[in-house]
Amino acid sequence: MTPRPPTSYWIVFAIVLALLAAAPLVLPPFWQRFATEILIWGLLAMSSDILIGYTGMVSFGHSAFFGLGMYGAAAALVTVKPPSLWLAVLYGLAGAGLVAVFVAYFATRLRDIYFAISTLVFSQIFYVIIFTWTEVTGGENGLTFSQPPLTLFGLHGARFTPVTFHWFVLAVVTLSYLAVRRVTQSPFGMVLQSIRENEPRTRAIGYHVERYKMVAVMLSGLFAGLAGTLYAIQNKFAAPDFVFFVVSGEVVIFNVMGGMGTLVGPFAGAAFFLLLREGLSRFLTEYYLIPLGIIFTLMVMFVPQGLLGFARRALNR
Amino acid sequence: MTGDAPILRTAQLTVRFGGLTALNQVSLAVPPGEIRGIIGPNGAGKSTLFNCLTGVLKPASGRIVFRGEDITGLPPYAISRKAIARSYQITNILPGATVLENVRIAAQSRHHNWSLLRHYRAYTDVLDRARAVLADVGLAGKEDELAANLSHGEQRNLEIGIALATEPKLLCLDEPTAGMSVAETHGTVELVRRIARNLTILIVEHDMEVVMGLAHVITVLNYGEVLAEGTPAVIQANPRVQEVYLKT
Repeated sequence: MTPRPPTSYWIVFAIVLALLAAAPLVLPPFWQRFATEILIWGLLAMSSDILIGYTGMVSFGHSAFFGLGMYGAAAALVTVKPPSLWLAVLYGLAGAGLVAVFVAYFATRLRDIYFAISTLVFSQIFYVIIFTWTEVTGGENGLTFSQPPLTLFGLHGARFTPVTFHWFVLAVVTLSYLAVRRVTQSPFGMVLQSIRENEPRTRAIGYHVERYKMVAVMLSGLFAGLAGTLYAIQNKFAAPDFVFFVVSGEVVIFNVMGGMGTLVGPFAGAAFFLLLREGLSRFLTEYYLIPLGIIFTLMVMFVPQGLLGFARRALNR
Repeated sequence: MTGDAPILRTAQLTVRFGGLTALNQVSLAVPPGEIRGIIGPNGAGKSTLFNCLTGVLKPASGRIVFRGEDITGLPPYAISRKAIARSYQITNILPGATVLENVRIAAQSRHHNWSLLRHYRAYTDVLDRARAVLADVGLAGKEDELAANLSHGEQRNLEIGIALATEPKLLCLDEPTAGMSVAETHGTVELVRRIARNLTILIVEHDMEVVMGLAHVITVLNYGEVLAEGTPAVIQANPRVQEVYLKT
């Protein structure tokens, strides 16, 4: 007897999914790509929500997982001919997973702000390594490669078009969302939320808190790496800018704007932030950050639970 | 009760905070099924003793033996697995979770806690255990309320419920009636008496009526040392205890 969320949840889910699937059919090319990018950044932000929203650990190091996902995919696409989509995904996940194990092992010994700072420091270490190890990573120029074709069940499919790539990303993101949602509602996920609510008490009732945090960081890192892999495949490059901590900061902002602890909130936050930045930068060029900062500050003051925070209980049922 | 091997034994337990000796050579032996009262003035080492027994503090020297096993220095989660639970003097619950979830997560710690792919509510054995505990502590009708919204007295009982849900053999209650009304205190005393049928209990309590009524044996701590030990009647008649603690 597995309980089911209310039908209304699935109705909204189906509508949103249909809209996202239909979007590239009606949007002009620029906005097609933009919609796909929102999904990818949303996936990255959702991966970080596992830590921020569910476990109560703020990570400022998600750029490292994302970036290693990118460079992992790049490694597969640069070295293996013909380029393979699934090998790129596998390498991307392996790259991010490796970093995640490293960060999980060391950073989870620290709490609160010390955890946040240590994730930031780790991500900057990886940034410096990637930036300076030019022979392997291409240094500041990064790596470029060609896009692999879509292959399913051993069948050699067609090259991606922007529309089919959007659907591919949508499928990966939807499956990831459903998987992470299930994990957050599993006994394991409930322990993470107990840690968020009261860490010492969670220890006192018999949970080895550090182990749970380690697994949470690794899970989070894997999904962040998946997002990086998708981004690399979309843009046919891997660049050190995406390992830089500014990306990690944006990920936290997506969570705060959209609603932490909801999984879908980070997608809404990413969409809101990226659309706002796109719109503002057209009129204000490099000064767009000023109104963006003001809007963010006002949101933190007046909508502290984020755009979808009001639906938090319904979304976690 | 006499003649049983003690379920809990401490031997020369000593805890120091810098230059201060918070517990000094404390040796206790608690037989199974006993309700042991721990009393003493503020700063006598009662909470330090609990923190030691539950792994929050590591003793400088001495040993803790529980059910024949040396558990000295084990971390809190491991102590909990050995079936020692505690409730806190200052309410220590999951405020943002429902009342049911507070005890469910505690009950879950004995089963299935590494499952990632099934819904937590699919584990009906854990839910049943949690609901039974809520009924025990008188919170059966409050399942879906947020723990933060309970009254103080209800939160105190939830606190005991969380501890009970971990299926302990030894329960350490740190001032379970602190801040309660007379009626609530009465309810909690009844609750402790009820659960004591299958448990060994250590209870720190400032309300003398409560502790004298509940405890089979009382240990008096003063400046981190055992000042006296005996039945409530013996303790009440002890002139030294009266001098340091009971004279009001």
